[in-house]
Order: sequence, then structure tokens, then C-alpha cells
Amino acid sequence: MINVLKEAITGSFESIFLISIIVFPLMVILQIAKDYKFLDRISNFFRFLARFFGMSEDSTLPLLVGTTFGIVYGAGVIIQSSKEGNISQRDMFLVSVFLIVCHAIIEDTLIFVAVGANGYILAGSRILAAVVITLLLSKRIRAGQKQLGIRTEEKRF
Amino acid sequence: MWLDSVKTGIKKGLETIWLLSKTIVPVYILVTVLNHTPVIGWITALFKPLMRVFNLPGEAAIVLVIGNILDTYSAVGAIKAMQLTVKEITTLSIMISISHSLLVETAVIKKLGFKVSHALITRIGLAIIFGIIVGRVGALI
Repeated sequence: MINVLKEAITGSFESIFLISIIVFPLMVILQIAKDYKFLDRISNFFRFLARFFGMSEDSTLPLLVGTTFGIVYGAGVIIQSSKEGNISQRDMFLVSVFLIVCHAIIEDTLIFVAVGANGYILAGSRILAAVVITLLLSKRIRAGQKQLGIRTEEKRF
Repeated sequence: MWLDSVKTGIKKGLETIWLLSKTIVPVYILVTVLNHTPVIGWITALFKPLMRVFNLPGEAAIVLVIGNILDTYSAVGAIKAMQLTVKEITTLSIMISISHSLLVETAVIKKLGFKVSHALITRIGLAIIFGIIVGRVGALI
């Protein structure tokens, strides 16, 4: 029993050390990118992403923030944008679909790489999954917007 | 300004590590202890036929369960405590990265007006589809 506990404690501290090596530089880099408005420039650069899904250009920032920083940040930006009224309900729905499948891609990929996963296959599959489902739904919503029950969203904010 | 960003980054890093430690350490201990009890054998038996679809050993089911209920970091802890090949870890990572932290993240998604059932079906469905594809393709290589 003592051996098992010893194994568990040393093992868990090792994993935390490994994760710390990644998390600290990551947080510092992301913070600098945020503070120096690199993010705004990057979102201008990635406008084609929103166009690809037939969304307005205002959807680029929530898409990018969610994909890089995580779903909580992405959701924050989406809610902010919808308050300001420059993102349609259809676009909000599509950005949400993309983000539930693919978010915090840097962080999520690196932690699995730290335990031995192939990062290229991992990130590639996840982005592919998100692109396929978002593209499918973007085609479907154009055909019949009312079917997806996105009308109720208006009241929540 | 420059230093402020670095300071905030380090602070966020510390917060993240602390948050992670709180989940990873207990889960890691739980998984290691489970590894030395018959419980892992029962879960293995229960999920073995299902895991074969993804070309994974039956015990990998624990990683999927932990990842979906708790979070990716806990799943990483569980992966670390097991003996798995690179291909198996990659398949598991893809499945978990698509579908994880269902309790917490579905709560966030709900705030965007997204239906909970739709979110769960999308995530779990895509995780299964990509798990099958990557698991099968990985076996061929």
C-alpha cells in the first residue's frame, strides 16, 4: 500500500512538472500577444476563415480567440459581440459549433504531446472535425434557418 | 508594459498550474490505486469490446471516462499512469481533445444558447468517428 501511494505521489508530481514546463511559457506568450494587440492583427489576417463558412468578418475574432485561448474566452468574445449587435445568430451558432469541437488548440495539443501523442495528427484531426461539421451546418442553415432552434438565443443576453 | 505582460502571464501560469494540480494529483492517485485493485479489471472487461473498435486496450476506457467527466489534464494524468503505445496515445488524445470536460464546457456552451443535447451528440459523435478512423488507420501503418 505504501509503495502504491509512493508511486502515485512521485508520478503525479512528475506530470505536474512536465505540464508546468509548457504552461508557464504558454501563458506568458499568450498574455503578450493579447496586450500588444497582436491578436487584432492576426484576426484581420484570418478573415478568410469566416468567409469560408459564409460568416460575417466579425466572427473571425471569437473564432480565433476560442481556437487559441479556449472556449471560455471564445464564449466571452461571442457574448460581447452579440451585445454590440455585430454578429448574427446564424454566425453565433456556427462559431459555437466550431468551438465546441475545436478550442484551446495550442494548449490541448501540447499537453497530449507531453505524454507522447503525435501532435500533427491530433491537431489536424480535430481541426478537420470542426471544419467538416461547421461547413455541413453552414450549408444546412442557409436552407432552413428555423429548424435549428436558434431563435431562442436572443433572449438569453 | 512589457514586464507587466510577463508578470500577468506568470501569474496566470501559476493559477493554471494550481488549478491543474488540484485535479491531476487526486485523479493520478486514484488511477494508480485503481491500477492495483480489481476495479480496473472490471472496467476493462466491460469496455473491452467497445475499445476494440478504436484499436485500444480495454483499460483505455478509464482515460475516456475521466477525460469526458473531468478534463483533459486529468485524462493526461491517467494516460501517464498507463503503459500505452504512441499510436494508442494519439487515438485517445484525438477522442479526448474533441470530447472532454463535458460537465464544465457544456455549461459554458449553454450560455451561448446552444442546446445541451446537440452539443453532447456533436462532440461524442465526432470523437467516436475520429477515434475509429485514426485507430484503424494507425493499425495499418
